[in-house]
Formats: sequence, C-alpha cells, structure tokens
Amino acid sequence: MSQSLRPYLQCVRSSLTAALSLSNFASQASERHNVPEIEAASSPEVILNPLTVSRNENERVYIEPSINSVRISINIKQADEIEHILVHKFTRFLTQRAESFYIMRRKPVKGYDISFLVTNFHTEEMLKHKLVDFIIQFMEEVDKEISEMKLFLNARARFVAESFLTPFD
Amino acid sequence: MLLLDYQNVLIESLLRDRFNGGASANIDQVVSDFDGVTFHISTPESKTKILVSLRIKCYQELVQYGAQSVLEREYGPYIVSPESGYDFSVQVDLEDLPADQEGKDDLVRRISLLKRNAMAAPFEQAFDEFHQLSEEASKYTSESAPQGIAEGGETRAIHYREEEAIYVKASHDRVTVIFSTIFREETDRIFGKVFLQEFVDARRRAIQNAPQVLFRNEPPLELQGFPGVSTSTNGEVGYITFVLFPRHLSKQRRDEVISHIQTFRDYFHYHIKASKAFIHSRMRKRTADFLQVLRRARPEAEEKERKTASGRTFKVQA
Amino acid sequence: MASQTPAVVMDNGTGYSKLGFAGNDSPSFVFPTAIATKGPTGGSGGSGSGRPAIANKPSYLTGGAGPGGHLSGKRGTEDLDFFIGDEALAAAAGSGYGINYPIRHGQIDNWDLMERFWSNSIFKYLRVEPEDHHFLLTEPPLNPPENREATAEIMFESFNVAGLYIAVQAVLALAASWTSSKVQDRSLTGTVIDSGAGVTHVIPVAEGYVIGSSIKSVPIAGRDITQFVQSLLRERGEPDSSLQTAERIKEEYCYVCPDIVKEFARFDRESDDRFKKHTVNYANGKTTTVDVGYERFLAPEIFFNPEIYSSDFLTPLPTIVDNVIQTSPIDVRRGLYKNIVLSGGSTLYKDFGRRLQRDIRHLVDARIKASEARSGGAKSGGLEVQVISHKRQRHGPWFGGSLLGQTPEFKSYCHTKAEYDEIGPSIVRRFALLGGPGST
Repeated sequence: MSQSLRPYLQCVRSSLTAALSLSNFASQASERHNVPEIEAASSPEVILNPLTVSRNENERVYIEPSINSVRISINIKQADEIEHILVHKFTRFLTQRAESFYIMRRKPVKGYDISFLVTNFHTEEMLKHKLVDFIIQFMEEVDKEISEMKLFLNARARFVAESFLTPFD
Repeated sequence: MLLLDYQNVLIESLLRDRFNGGASANIDQVVSDFDGVTFHISTPESKTKILVSLRIKCYQELVQYGAQSVLEREYGPYIVSPESGYDFSVQVDLEDLPADQEGKDDLVRRISLLKRNAMAAPFEQAFDEFHQLSEEASKYTSESAPQGIAEGGETRAIHYREEEAIYVKASHDRVTVIFSTIFREETDRIFGKVFLQEFVDARRRAIQNAPQVLFRNEPPLELQGFPGVSTSTNGEVGYITFVLFPRHLSKQRRDEVISHIQTFRDYFHYHIKASKAFIHSRMRKRTADFLQVLRRARPEAEEKERKTASGRTFKVQA
Repeated sequence: MASQTPAVVMDNGTGYSKLGFAGNDSPSFVFPTAIATKGPTGGSGGSGSGRPAIANKPSYLTGGAGPGGHLSGKRGTEDLDFFIGDEALAAAAGSGYGINYPIRHGQIDNWDLMERFWSNSIFKYLRVEPEDHHFLLTEPPLNPPENREATAEIMFESFNVAGLYIAVQAVLALAASWTSSKVQDRSLTGTVIDSGAGVTHVIPVAEGYVIGSSIKSVPIAGRDITQFVQSLLRERGEPDSSLQTAERIKEEYCYVCPDIVKEFARFDRESDDRFKKHTVNYANGKTTTVDVGYERFLAPEIFFNPEIYSSDFLTPLPTIVDNVIQTSPIDVRRGLYKNIVLSGGSTLYKDFGRRLQRDIRHLVDARIKASEARSGGAKSGGLEVQVISHKRQRHGPWFGGSLLGQTPEFKSYCHTKAEYDEIGPSIVRRFALLGGPGST
C-alpha cells in the first residue's frame, strides 16, 4: 500500500463509521412512507453536511449523511483513456447487478463513478463495521482490478501483435 | 484459437465429406464469410455436381487488378459462368474427381480458399510489379533513377468493406499495404489503439524481420491525393501501414504472406472482442468476490428453537 | 452493411448447438455444446447441484468463476487456448484438456465458457464479423429475464452485434411447422413436444406466448431410448452392445407400432421381413453383425408405455399432453389440440405422430363421451386433434429461426446496438412478437 493510500482509506473509514449512525425516520411529507431522506431531499432539517475525502483530484469520496440514510459516492482513479473506459465498463457491469449488492445504487451521483446508498434498514440487518469494511475493500480492489485489467490488455495486445507478425519472420 | 483460418471451414468440411464418399444429398446453402462475402453452395443440376459461387463487394476492382487470371490459374477447368447474383462460380463433379487422395485434398483446399484467392489478385500484381521495379532499379544508382522507378507503381485500392479499404502499392524496394479502419464503438477504438501501438512496437522489440508497421490517423503520404481517401482527420479513421520488404516478397513466401496479411483486419477485430470477453470473465470473478465480502456483513441467522404451544420442538430434517 | 447480410441463427441447446444463416433450410454447423479448456474439468461451474434456477446464487452473478480463477494473471493467454464442438471432444480425449458443458438443462450455466464458445462459433465456424450481422438466439421456456440480459450484455458489449433477437425455442418450433402441408393458418398457437437427448418437454403456446404454468417435462428422451436398446442387446448377448451401436440401431431401424401385441405376432409371422441384421464396422477393419429384433418397435414404445423401461415414471406421453392442454386456459384448448407440433431428434421415429394423435384422440373422445352421458343427451360438436409431423422436425427451433430471420421485417423486430446503448440490458426483457398477428 502506498504512502498516501493508507491515510486516505483510514480517513474514509472513520468518516464512514461516524456517518453510519442512522435511525428509523418516517417521512414527514407523506403518511406511512419511509424513504431515504438523502434521496428524497424534501426535509432539509434532517440532512447533514456532506463531506468530501480527497486523495488527489482524481480520487475522492463524497459522503452525504442524513438522519436515516447515507449516500457514498466514489471517484475511481483514471489516469488515461484506457483506464477511463475500463472503469466505465466495470462500474456498468456492477450496477447491472446492483440488485444483489443491496447497498449499491443503480446510477452513480453525478460527477462520480459509483454510488452506494446505506439506509437504516441496512444497518439494522447487517453489521455496520462490516459494511464499512466492504466499502473500503471495494475501493482498494477496484483500483487493483483496473490496473490489472490494463496490464492484461497491454500484455494481450503485445502477444497478439507478435503472433501476427511472427509468420512473416 | 489464436490465428484465424484462411479457408472457409464450412466449404472445406462439406466438400471433404462429399469427396470421400459422404452420403449424397441436395445442398442449398447461402453462407457468409468475413467482410460481407457471400457463398452459395448448391447442387442445381444433380446431386453429384456441386456449385460454389462467390459474391464479393469489390469484385469489379479485383477484376481490374487481374483477379480473373489468378482465379483461372487456381480453378482452371472448374470455372463455370457465374450464377446470377454472384460474381464467380466453380463447379465440381463428384464423378469426375482427381483419382488420388492428394489431388482431392488439394481441390478441397483450393475451393475453400476461394475468397482468399479472389482477394489475392492485387497483392500478386503488386508483388510482380515490385520484382520488375527492383530489377529496373538495380540498373541505376539511387540518384540517377528516373522518376517512375523511384516513385513506384500505381496504388491499388480495394474497397472490401463499406467504410474500409486496403491499398497496395509497390515500389522498387518494398510493397506497402495500407488498411484503413474505422471504429464505431468507443471501447473498441481505445482497445484498438492499444493493440496497434503494440503492432508498431513489435518489430523493434522482438521480431526484427517482420514487416514494418505504422499507424496514424491521417492518410499516409502514399495515399495523399488519392481519390476516395477522406482527408478528414477527426480521429475516427485510422491508417495502418504494413511495409513488406523484399524478404517477404520472394516467390516461396508470397502465397503465405498474401494469405496472412489478408486476415489482418478480422484478426485484429477478433482479438479486440476476445479480450473484451476475457475482461468480462475477470469482472464476473471480481463481482463474485465483492459479493462474498458483502455477505460477511450479514450476521448468521441464528437457529432459534421454535416451540409449539405444548412445549414440543420440531426437528429440521437434514 | 448489416442491412444486406443474412441474419445469423444460433440455437444453443444442452446437447447440441445449431448454427447457421437465416434463409437456409438446415443449419451450417451442428456440434456438441461442449468446450475443452486447459487443465482439469471446471466442474459444475457456479454452484453445482444441477438445477440452475434453484442454486443459491444465480449463475449470471458468479458466471462459473471457478476456483483459482484467472486473477493470477500469468501471461494471460490461457483464455484463447480452447476448443469447441467436436474438436473439444477430441481434445478432451487426449490429455491436458478438460471438457465442460456450459449449458445445463437448457439454460446457460457458465457464462465465461459460453462467451468463449460464442466467440469461437462466430469467428472460427461461421466466419462473420458480428458487427455486420443481426443475430437470432434461442432460449428455453421460462428462462429468467436476467439470463436474457446477461446474453445481451455479452452479445452487444463483447461482440457489438448489429441487432439481437431472442426467441423462445417452442415458439420457433411452431413457426417451423408452417412448412407442413397440414398447416393452413400460420398461427402461433399450439402444443410443442420437444424431445431431445436429455429431456422431453410439452409446452403449450398461445398466440406466441408460452403458458408457463402448464409446461410439463418427461424424463424420457433420446438417451433413455438408446440405453433401452442397449439393455435389450445385452440381454440377448449380442457381440456388440456398445452405446454407439445401440444409437445407430435406434436411428436406423426403430419405428412406432400401433399395437405392441399385434406387432409381436407380426414379427413371429413374418420373421424374415421384420428381423434385421446390423453390420458394425470397426476402425481396425473388422466387422460384426448384430441381430436387430423386437427393439425396433419396443424402444420408442417407452414414450407410450413407460413401465417397460422405467419404474418411477409411469405416465404415457399422450396422457401428459392431454393433461397439459387441460390445465391451460379453456379458450385456447381447442387451438392447442388442433396444432400439436413435434420437434427434436427423438420425435423422428416413423409413425410417432400418428400414434400420438390416435392416443390423444382416444383420451379426448372418451372424455367427451363421458360428459355427453352425464349431461343427459346433449351432443358435443367434437374436438379436432391433430399432431403435425414435418420435414424440419429435427432442428425445429433452428429452422423456425431461419424462417423468421429471413423475413423482411425481422430486422425491425431486433433490438439494435444503438438502442442497447441508450436503454441498457433491460431492453431485451421485451421483444415484439415475431411472426405473430399483424406480420406477413
């Protein structure tokens, strides 16, 4: 783990843990509704101040807490257009399967690559610190995966080019 | 599968089966090959006479570059007048096959290479021109060479797909083959760029004797001012240049080289798609891993003993 | 370019894949849906245990991410080292390769392998640039929509196909029956009996939509018939009772008789005519002769009298068909009885359709008679029962696909790459009904 990654992730971890203190909160707008307030955004008094944890201009996490839900959006590192397209492909692949990820949003918040939405029902059903673990691990592994895919692509391209040109030799 | 086959597998397997005494039956199949080529394999007259017809988009151009003579050389007695709607037809009579197995296999191979042979004409012509030019050039020193020889021959254009073309040009020390490519898909374009960069670098790194490969987004010098070449440089169209050196153009090598270079575009696209498939499988694996991590957040459902009113319990049968 | 090229029709079944181009009357390639990969067999892919639908995790999520996986990297070209179809079987016979079957019970079980299987089908066998062609794929009845989406994801994102249509096999089998002279109106209502190697399905279809709740499957199909023939050969102590020989005998000599008791008598009476001799040629040049006797009509009989073969499944096929139709909505039953369509290799026995039709009619007539008697004098108008056999039965779904794929409106029914990019994979949850009312 590089020098600046550890404090970055540590910071995200503590901010998330702090933000994930959620309680059940019925909608004030309509009777018998219970919606994630951060998504509904209809009662400003239950929405807390959002927070950005940023490692550099490309990598940052945006945490939007509210009384019964937290929205976490991640910007994944993309150094060049290959990484950009790979990130795009991968996040699309994941959001396509958002159903089974419970806390994944089907669409990222504008300006970010992928978003999660954790509600009080999630924290009641699942272990909070494990949810934080998941987000942190996700951030770590996504970077790894993207760079591995990029490496693969380069290795494959080289192999393919050499195989095509060898018969001329 | 790494390299693509040169021959059409369907024609090959079908003819091989028939030639070696497979059950006779009527055939009537219209099948496609790469680059919009269509084959029609049929038995119009009797079950023993198999007609194979070819339709190719750029046939007129190919004829202009001598396709007729190449095809005549390859198929000679088997050529029949082209079926309507097609450009070229060959017919084989099962009752009149070469007697020996070797002859049969050769015929199967030839017919299954129909597309390759039709497309080979401009290459062959350019290769011949190269030999002619190099012979002439050897009479002069590089300074005193007359204009025509230094510049090389005409550029042969084969518009083999709607938006893509191959250009072949001979000069006294090389034959240049240029593919124009277009990508409609952003992902493919970027993947393609990575691949092409490696094609360009491969010669420097590993295979010294390979043809030189160049890639650029605007038409290369050879094509400047050539009719039909779009001059726009919006980055969509790319030009890949293969420079074939004399060692690739020798009589022994040329058949192999022509077959091989023809498959370039499809090979290139096949591998872009294959790597996307591989990336898909990586993503599936990674998704499964993530799900596993997330599942750990769910506490194990405790097995509570449920009691009936009278205090008895149920046992769950395994 | 995609506007002029013929559509590619791919029917990937559990046992065999049928590939070809629309407009032809037979598939260009028929080979086992098998893929041989380096290393030992990948086992059952995702979660094993057979039934894909009930597995604890749907396969489109894990996609057969086998143990170990390829995350280890290496040179990263292992994924190009594989064979499909007959070559896969040959490669697996040697050492170094393991065989995998990416489709189980009609549904795709291992998406990684299936993606590679398709890739090779397209580039090695069909030799087409998928960007230039529309694709017609098939799916089994009751395929979960997520599987469709995963298919579309692969087809559009990996292969960039120009257009995609996914049709239900049973519906295509109905379309294939339009070639029969018995069919006057080209309706998409009917009962499809699809019998392949592994399992036999009876599927009612109304106006192009499968009545999912009434589908029944019968655990008797081609493989069972072969085994039954084999067991008869073994009992008699024939010189060759291998599975291959049994299969040849099944394919060449078997037929369906109207009545087994009479058929036995007939065999004893005209024994010269009825008993056959089958010659087996071995690779090393030797030959043996095997007598072929009662199994000629006994083998397919297990559809009609399962008790002679199996002890746990005892309902004859005609009864199943009748039950299926009786559990379907009442307003389509007439159409379902009138158009019973056969599909698949195990329905090819001579007189199979005729026997089935007769047996179902007996059941129907008996019921009508009973209800007439109960009603005290009311007369029923009768009910038409018709079983349709036709020439394209063997590759019914493929042929139906070829038929519909060549129609001029087919391409407008497809979802295109542009539409997919706009809406996403969920677009393939709905397809306009091809060949349904309103089209030519």
